[in-house]
Amino acid sequence: MSSAARGCWHCGESLPGAEAPQARVAGTTHAVCCEGCRAAAEWIDQLGLADYYRLRSAPASRAPESSEASRTSAAWARPGLERHVVRELDSDRREAMLLVEGLRCSACVWLIERALGALPGVLHVQVNAAARRARITWTAPCSLPRILEALLRAGYRPLPLDAAALDDSRRREQRTALKQLVVAGFGAMQAMMYASGLYFGVFDGIDATARELLRWLGLLVATPVVFYSARPFFAGALRSLRARRLGMDVPVAIAIALIYAASVYEAFHGGAEVYFDSVGMFVFFLLTGRYLEMRARHRAGDLTDALARLTPAFADRVRADGTLERVGAIELAAGDVVLIAAGGGVPADGALESERCRVDEALVSGESAPVSKRRGAPLIAGSVLVEGPVEMRVERVGADTVLAGILALVTRAAIERPRLAAAGERAAAGFVARVLTLAALTAIGWSFADPSRAFTATLAVLVVSCPCAFALAVPAAITRALGVLARHGVLVVRPDAIEGLASATHIVFDKTGTLTDRLALERIDTIGSLDRAQALLLAGALARGSRHPASMAIANAIDDDQALPAVEDARTEASGGIEGRVEGRILRLGRADFALGCDTIPAEYADAVLLADATGSIAAFRLSEQLRAEARATVAALVADGLTPEIASGDDAGKVAAAAARLGIAHWKARLRPADKLARLAALRAAGARVIAVGDGINDAPVLAGADVSVALASGTELAQAASDIVLSGDLGALAEARATARQTLAILRQNQRWALVYNLSVVPLGALGFVPPWLAALGMSASSLFVVLNALRIGRREERSDTPAALTAQAVA
Amino acid sequence: MNILLVMIPLSILLLIGAGIAFFWAVDHDQFDDLDTPRLLPLLDDPDAIDAESAEEPPREAPPP
Repeated sequence: MSSAARGCWHCGESLPGAEAPQARVAGTTHAVCCEGCRAAAEWIDQLGLADYYRLRSAPASRAPESSEASRTSAAWARPGLERHVVRELDSDRREAMLLVEGLRCSACVWLIERALGALPGVLHVQVNAAARRARITWTAPCSLPRILEALLRAGYRPLPLDAAALDDSRRREQRTALKQLVVAGFGAMQAMMYASGLYFGVFDGIDATARELLRWLGLLVATPVVFYSARPFFAGALRSLRARRLGMDVPVAIAIALIYAASVYEAFHGGAEVYFDSVGMFVFFLLTGRYLEMRARHRAGDLTDALARLTPAFADRVRADGTLERVGAIELAAGDVVLIAAGGGVPADGALESERCRVDEALVSGESAPVSKRRGAPLIAGSVLVEGPVEMRVERVGADTVLAGILALVTRAAIERPRLAAAGERAAAGFVARVLTLAALTAIGWSFADPSRAFTATLAVLVVSCPCAFALAVPAAITRALGVLARHGVLVVRPDAIEGLASATHIVFDKTGTLTDRLALERIDTIGSLDRAQALLLAGALARGSRHPASMAIANAIDDDQALPAVEDARTEASGGIEGRVEGRILRLGRADFALGCDTIPAEYADAVLLADATGSIAAFRLSEQLRAEARATVAALVADGLTPEIASGDDAGKVAAAAARLGIAHWKARLRPADKLARLAALRAAGARVIAVGDGINDAPVLAGADVSVALASGTELAQAASDIVLSGDLGALAEARATARQTLAILRQNQRWALVYNLSVVPLGALGFVPPWLAALGMSASSLFVVLNALRIGRREERSDTPAALTAQAVA
Repeated sequence: MNILLVMIPLSILLLIGAGIAFFWAVDHDQFDDLDTPRLLPLLDDPDAIDAESAEEPPREAPPP
């Protein structure tokens, strides 16, 4: 693992320099970045769980200092709070659901299960890596604070969720779906076996009793499939009928009910044919598609978890006598004064009481650079204090905060989203109505002409024209497309997004975090006698100790194996820069006014990072946001595909214009707040455009929820993912590929529908006239469905041949 | 063909048995986490690890 070799052994972040703490794990010493990580690594080793480092596939998150760990966990012992999150199972067993931040791979699951299982009194630990949730049951010697402390010591940030989360609707949904799928699979296989006996019987002759027996057995195995596994279709059909529209579930439910009812009737009356095998396969296939779709949806996260993660659970309230008490954030009221530590989250909206501070408001503005605030300025719940500590007077809590407002915006936009009317759905529904009319006409016609043949002919019409091919045309193509896209790291959460992706005309990008990934050093202007490399070394020595984005950009510009001069008396000035003694002289790195120690600064250094000593400036470092490596090729591929790209950013006009110019994007808007972005989207849509929105931040969430199709980056925030239709787990390059696959899917989907239509138009009249014997009807029905499924399998085969720019970039980046 | 009268009910019984076993497995968390179990065979024997970490209090076996 290269990152472990260079960075912290535990969390993979860069090391603070030569005097990094050392952790002893499994007999070897490893450099770590901080005391918290050292404690976490050694504690893990002490438990005999050092295997974790061998098994994990992603580095852990940075561990908190141990004093902070015990303070946080002790705070959860407050009886008022514990009541919210702990459920009593019986007199001594307790249960709680924790959201575990920092849970990144399966090895984490293993570590958490072992580490908590080692605590005396813990009865059961169950960790779900996908949902990042842990369900823990414990008894007397153990308690919630002890469990939380154990997790904190291992370097995770546990967040007890409200006790209602224990009812875990997702888990129930997933279990039910799995059971229904397997019952359908078993039933379909068995019904197929009995049916093949019957088919052979048609040709080779079969004894009447054996035939009867096989039919009854078919009925036996198909019944649970129809009444248990097919329940979601009936429920869905009922729901859409109540809402007075014909959804996809309606024709499916009608098909299942009709085939089953007809087969039962035939079985009881000794009629010609039964179709239990068809009904079983039909249900099984449709359920498979639904199951895949559900798993993608669950992986994308949900809104309540996102909210819990964004705001801190606790606040340090300042009592009247100046002492602190740690209370739950839900207990705060307007007028309270709270103390916020550096690096801590702001628990509620309020006004700054201290002189000045800097906060990271990426939450609202989406931009990563911290903002300076002076006394009286508003602070927003969920933003992170970069420098502190400060005191804040609480003004708004809970549902009144800006953060809650953004969430409400997300929810509203999601509800108001015009659902893309799936073309296939309407066609199928209309078709079903026509077939039912035709079947009724056939029945009436034959009952006048020859009543004895009325039933067989009507049945032939129903079966031969079975909406299966129609009903399968869409899900078969979509299911296949979901699989192909998932292989490319494109997780489709809402399947109708595929249609939107294919038919979109515009694509709106967020800039920061979506098109760009981090700050990078662009240029060094030397002023004094030193050359660029020497200036960079001096600046790097100072910058390495700091976690400010600008410092990290400078430190990253230096090779890791380069020896840096030692820094003595390093000191960080809030919202200014770093000062330290290097090679005997005092150096300052930071904003120009700080570095030069005066207020009047040359205009050309206003936005540069300056390195200076007592005599004057040495070098100016120009930083710029670095575009993602694949951004240019992706935008080019999307433009070639007929999309109009646009940037909607909350950042300064200058930066947005520069990024747009480099990407070749003509339209851009800067300084937009979330509501403005939503308005911009609405304007585009009003002009008839179909819009794809791509974003990653919390401030993008309303935009994502309001677009025709929304795409979030998996590296972005939870909230953005929850509000989006598609999650890109890899890089942007997959987007162009996804668009191509979506278009192909739509083309095949149309082909399927046309085929089903042609087939039905040619055989239904024959059936109505009584020329189609039931066995031929069954064969035709199966063949048409098979054709549809095989055709759908062609999706994604094109890409093995194609060498689009996006595919090439994806390979190069990978 | 009388053998059918034995074989078919037998297959149905097996089917029902498999179905019940599967439902039981789903209800007892066997399918909730499909990622972690694949790691377990790679590990050393947990009892051996216990013996080494003498400083820790004796641990209960982790729940299945």
